[in-house]
Amino acid sequence: MVHSTQNQPAAIIADRISKRFGGAVAVDGVSLSVAPGEIHAVVGENGAGKSTLMRILAGVIPADQGEIRVGTELLSGGPRAALAAGVALVHQELSLVPDMSVAENILLGSTPTAAGFVRRAPMRRIAQAALDEIGIEVDLDEPIARLSVSVRQFVEIARAVARKPRVLILDEPTATLTPAETDHLLQMLERLAAAGMAIIYISHRIPEVFRLCTVVTVLRDGKVIQSGPVAETTPREVISAMVGRELARDLAGEHTSRQPGEVVLKATGIRAPRVNGVDLEIRSGQIVGLGGLVGAGRTELVRAIIGADPRIAGTVTIASRGRSRQIRDYQVAVRSGVGYVPEERRSDGLALTMSVVDNVALPNRAALSTAGVLRRRRITDYVERLADAVGLRPPKIQRDAGQFSGGNQQKIVIAKWLGRQPALMVLDEPTRGVDVGAKAEIHRLIRGLAAEGAAVLFVSSDLPELLDLADLIHVVRDGTIVGSLTREQADERSVMSLASGEKAVVA
Amino acid sequence: MAESTLRESIVAPTTAPAPASRGARVLQFVADRGIVVFTVGLIVFAIVFVNGFASVSNVSDVFYRAAPIGIVALGMTFVVISANYLDLSVVAQVATAAVIFIGVSNQAGIIAAVLVAIVVALVYGLVNGIAVGYFRANAVIVTLATTFIGLGILRWLSGGSIFFGPDGGIVQSLGQAKVGPVPLSAIVLIAMAVILGFVLQKTTFGFAIRSYGSNKAAARLAGVQTGRLVVGAFIITSLSAMVAGFVLAAFSNTAVSSMSDGYDFRALAAIIIGGTSVFGGRGSVLRTLLGVVFVSVLTNILVLSGMGFGLQQVAIGALIVIAVSVDALARKLVKS
Repeated sequence: MVHSTQNQPAAIIADRISKRFGGAVAVDGVSLSVAPGEIHAVVGENGAGKSTLMRILAGVIPADQGEIRVGTELLSGGPRAALAAGVALVHQELSLVPDMSVAENILLGSTPTAAGFVRRAPMRRIAQAALDEIGIEVDLDEPIARLSVSVRQFVEIARAVARKPRVLILDEPTATLTPAETDHLLQMLERLAAAGMAIIYISHRIPEVFRLCTVVTVLRDGKVIQSGPVAETTPREVISAMVGRELARDLAGEHTSRQPGEVVLKATGIRAPRVNGVDLEIRSGQIVGLGGLVGAGRTELVRAIIGADPRIAGTVTIASRGRSRQIRDYQVAVRSGVGYVPEERRSDGLALTMSVVDNVALPNRAALSTAGVLRRRRITDYVERLADAVGLRPPKIQRDAGQFSGGNQQKIVIAKWLGRQPALMVLDEPTRGVDVGAKAEIHRLIRGLAAEGAAVLFVSSDLPELLDLADLIHVVRDGTIVGSLTREQADERSVMSLASGEKAVVA
Repeated sequence: MAESTLRESIVAPTTAPAPASRGARVLQFVADRGIVVFTVGLIVFAIVFVNGFASVSNVSDVFYRAAPIGIVALGMTFVVISANYLDLSVVAQVATAAVIFIGVSNQAGIIAAVLVAIVVALVYGLVNGIAVGYFRANAVIVTLATTFIGLGILRWLSGGSIFFGPDGGIVQSLGQAKVGPVPLSAIVLIAMAVILGFVLQKTTFGFAIRSYGSNKAAARLAGVQTGRLVVGAFIITSLSAMVAGFVLAAFSNTAVSSMSDGYDFRALAAIIIGGTSVFGGRGSVLRTLLGVVFVSVLTNILVLSGMGFGLQQVAIGALIVIAVSVDALARKLVKS
């Protein structure tokens, strides 16, 4: 599994690294070796374990198993030790301090001082040198908050380069860049590599990988699926390795083609932070999926539609039971028959220290009370029935929601809305972090809702799930719908190429 | 995917979080149920070892003293459970209600006094509640400011003078009223506990407050009108502070703007020692009542043992630090 393009000793070697989060295996026995001057791509779907692996290499989080060597030294200790050994990570989420200047941010954590005072002259000199090295012109005294996202990305890279690392790790550096900026970045990386730096490059964008990198490693479900020189593979092969799984839809038999009914949701001209003008229509009985990369603006879009976050512009109408209502805020949305299963079920979906009964009863409390007084008996009967409908395990409804597994917690969130027979059900990443059994059950519940006439809108970064559930897939990139695919048109490749904006991949 | 593996994973119980460690469970128990054990233990200890505790006159004295702070604490439990820390302005509210109860009664009769006090309580509740619930301002700072404003207005209007009820007047007779050996203030305390306990546990409003305190985002996404809820919690606190002001005024037949100094902290002490979490969501009115009993009995024991006011303060303050730390630690351990 370990490759080295040159015959010189590797700059960094990861040996059988494993990492678990709770019950989920994020990284599973991954080995990786990068030589000086090599640009090594690590690719994979969302959730394949790329970011976790990189954070382990940079010492941000410890591995459960395996070891990392930088040169000949065994790496141990936190991020400072990794930095001292010469491993610098450019984070996917920007980690700059918005109110501090460019120079201060570049030297953050290694500010030159004398007797406890910041020495401004050397600080400016080092920061300027780093910016020169990556070929970016920006005022050293400008506060980060006033820079554009793409310039911030370059400052972030300058910060890593200022430390003169032997190994530079970039996690999706081009996600926020324009094509011209991307070109600039790729040329810069080629230059750094030519000077002997080992570079690990994470990206969703396959053409970039083939243009820039010398070696490509494909991760899937935390394991290395394929690893070798870029020259010996093709984009098609890499994408197949990324999405993997048998492309056949094994549950195809279940898709009895429903006849979509009346229009339930009509959204026009939706604008919000990270949402740049979206029109959307969903009919009764129709399941619409939103595909795209993480950060494409899908969560922001659904939240803006239902009013969970404020909209800048756009109108939303929901028609149910013969009534048509404008949705101006979330309260109205709920009263008009919207059910919402948020992306972060633990922080937004459930009161973890309250019982299943309380959680499920909350949105239905008006119907479960008489003159404002709760009817205990009615509530437990109601919740028992729903716990049974969603297949809660164990079916102990008096237990705190926090004591259930991820999959069962998700079932509780769904149960909150199920009893209201929602006109529009919105689910954001409905099965993330959920085991395979619960996943199948959640899919069954979603199909059941549609069969009963609900309009369903869901966001998923899980490609097979998207293809499996959705009657219609809208692919979102940079806050707009860049393409719509019917069940017949959609496959892994067509969705991925729309999502990454690289038409070239379409075979 | 093979049918058999799918079936198997559906049937197999999915992994639940590992049970908490022994230490975490002990802490959890103390945070959850400690107050019952401690209160009963303290009372038994006092009956057996403290001279003069178990007498009708002493117990009735304990209740006299406990009632006003207890009533404030019962109401303020709503604000604490809604995860908005506390309402500091109860200090101003209790004093204002007391001054109105005697001052306005002397001029225009007791019914007018009660009506004026209710209007004032609603204004307090609305101002605090709207600032915190709708504008999302920090409750500590908002209520610190309204205390300042409220006490300022009170001193301005009352000229800082002491108000006396007439001898044999209705206020004094209320203060001295008893049902059998039980003072009226104790009955008011218990009645308030029953009413507020019912509201918090059994009504949709109380349920929504608890849910909101437990997870604000989840409550909002479940369609709860959160602003209205917070206003409600502050209004309940204000009305309770008003009743406490009446009880306090009747007890001594006097009212002055400084008579409720320290009520904010002492009410919070009873709530926290009762085991209502300052993180919101967890707790009950009954717990607060137990907390009130515990703090009152403890203070009484310290007094009977001849300990001065300074040491009493040290003891109560130390208890709060312990109670809050246990709450925070139990929460942290359960989470991890």
